[in-house]
Amino acid sequence: MDNRELWTALGMDLEKHDDFLAPIPEVYTNLFLNRPNRPKAMGYFDMVVGDVHGIRVHELYAMKEAGAKVFSTFCVYVPEEIVVATGSASIGLCAGAQYTVSSGEKVLPRNLCPLIKSTMGFKLDRICPYFQISDWVIGETTCDGKKKAWEILNEHIPTYVMELPQKKEAKDARLWEEEVREFASFIERETKVDLTAENLAQGIQTINNKRQALQRLANLRKHNPAPIQGLDVLLINQLSFFDDPVRFTAQVNALCDELDERVKAEIGVAPADAPRILVTGTPQPLPAWKLHALIEQAGAVVVGEETCTGERYYKDVTESAENVSDMLANIAKRPLKVNCACFTPNQGRMEDITRMAETLKADAVIDFTLQFCQPYGVESYFVGKEMEKKKIPFLRLESDFSEEDQGQLLTRIEALIEMIRA
Amino acid sequence: MRQAGLDLGSVNTKLVVLNNGERIYSRVIPSRFDSVQAGITLLKTYVEEHGEKPDKLVVTGYGRVNFPEGRVITEITCQSRGCHAYFPDNAHILDLGGQDAKVIKKNAEGRVVQFIMNDKCAAGTGRFLDVILKGLDLTTEELDLAAEAKPMPINSMCTVFAESEVITLLAKGIPKPEVIAGLFKSTAKRLANFVESVGHPDDLIFTGGGAHYGLLVHFLEQELKAKIIIPSEPELTAALGAASLA
Repeated sequence: MDNRELWTALGMDLEKHDDFLAPIPEVYTNLFLNRPNRPKAMGYFDMVVGDVHGIRVHELYAMKEAGAKVFSTFCVYVPEEIVVATGSASIGLCAGAQYTVSSGEKVLPRNLCPLIKSTMGFKLDRICPYFQISDWVIGETTCDGKKKAWEILNEHIPTYVMELPQKKEAKDARLWEEEVREFASFIERETKVDLTAENLAQGIQTINNKRQALQRLANLRKHNPAPIQGLDVLLINQLSFFDDPVRFTAQVNALCDELDERVKAEIGVAPADAPRILVTGTPQPLPAWKLHALIEQAGAVVVGEETCTGERYYKDVTESAENVSDMLANIAKRPLKVNCACFTPNQGRMEDITRMAETLKADAVIDFTLQFCQPYGVESYFVGKEMEKKKIPFLRLESDFSEEDQGQLLTRIEALIEMIRA
Repeated sequence: MRQAGLDLGSVNTKLVVLNNGERIYSRVIPSRFDSVQAGITLLKTYVEEHGEKPDKLVVTGYGRVNFPEGRVITEITCQSRGCHAYFPDNAHILDLGGQDAKVIKKNAEGRVVQFIMNDKCAAGTGRFLDVILKGLDLTTEELDLAAEAKPMPINSMCTVFAESEVITLLAKGIPKPEVIAGLFKSTAKRLANFVESVGHPDDLIFTGGGAHYGLLVHFLEQELKAKIIIPSEPELTAALGAASLA
């Protein structure tokens, strides 16, 4: 079956899909392939993007033919270990394109985060094969916009919602553990596979390996000159939600081996005096590359992401345990160490940002908020205050997935760089 | 040595030339949606009048990336440097340009330590005031009366909504001077909040074309409870800074 047959089988709108994909090769070539001095191991990730709606979708289709299910997620809190343990697939959703925002606005308020509108639009337009192949969407309650949008999305695809608490007290941890246990039963019911100590341990191991490979990659970015562009790492972080976890882990480790050599040879992708930027804030789902592209185009290098398409996804691993019940308890513990702005209070996030800025030797922090993302937009106040206290140059940027404000964003980024270099 | 600074703004394009640090030339012309062409014209006029090109050129402002020559520096750094030349002791700058409103905090050496700019929206920029004032067909007399009038609150800060709000108020029979006063007062309030998000200044340097609106300055002073300092040619400070950085 070729791609078009596959897409037809998935009920996609082929005409619209062609229109959506048409500009991507040129954008990708300009942003990624034409850049000098990229690590060779990026070739794998380029290949995955080159056929982003093909290779992996075929695999998922084959998995489904063999009786597995596909669960799509939207957030780093959803425990993919449990899904993977049953032999089913957990994948991230299409979410970062302006193209589908206007369709999303048919059912959602215009004054809503572009990520939610884009996601909704992908489903309504039927141009995301990952959506089309999914049996279920797994939502969570990380913000009011998403929480309510799931109800609308549920009219188009079955949507299961996990309730994430908003504080991190003992009773909140109990609620979340209960949610995780219920989710486990739901997955067992849907996949008709029982969770056992063996398969769950395997699921935890697979996902831990993936997170550890990403940690290894993140850790390599503390070197100066930077061995890899931030844009390349962002891409990998984005693909970590889509790709087959075992193969992906091997490829990230292969890249890290190459970067180890670069570090030893002091080979960098940017001069040693290039300003080093830590990006914090809201996620940048595939194909939202604008911010990193602009920062690096301006002569700086992004050395870390305190975002969900970054550190928040992989900073902690799940501890091992002897039996299914203890494993589920540990699976529930890991996400509560992640400091999303949906929690109150959220001082831990300030500590994460400060620690990352120090370890990565960042010259400045850019706090990026997607328009109308209230939790991160509001919390930006504390990030700014903390950076002022730590005397770390700080820039707050707000944007969406459109291209029109690139000039304005670039002016601010360039001014920040001039500030650092002065 | 002759150093030139060219500020390619969205509304006006400005050129300042320094000779051994002394200003020998300055000129402002409208950008007319092509600031790059306006900049080329300005430089050509300068060369025609002075017989030679400046030795060094820095370009800044919104059109800077497309300008064919000169070193590029952002308007934020240039503004800070230009203001520092006039007012070395004042730390806060509010620049109200056509497209952008910015607040810049500088240190004792004139370097930028913090800045913020408006979002991609005309609310609270020079464009916002221009759009509404143009639609009102104001006479000089009405503007003078506005200085004495009781400001009628204008709450919408979206340019288009504010315009309809103004139209609604006029249709209700509210006198034009009261509406104008309200427009300036609400803009001043917004700008004051913008400034204070970077810290409260005792003295604020106010630059950009927006500083020419006397009533706005008056209300801003009231809102901020701070002294407002305006350079003699507030729209030229970024070009001056650019020239001094050349």
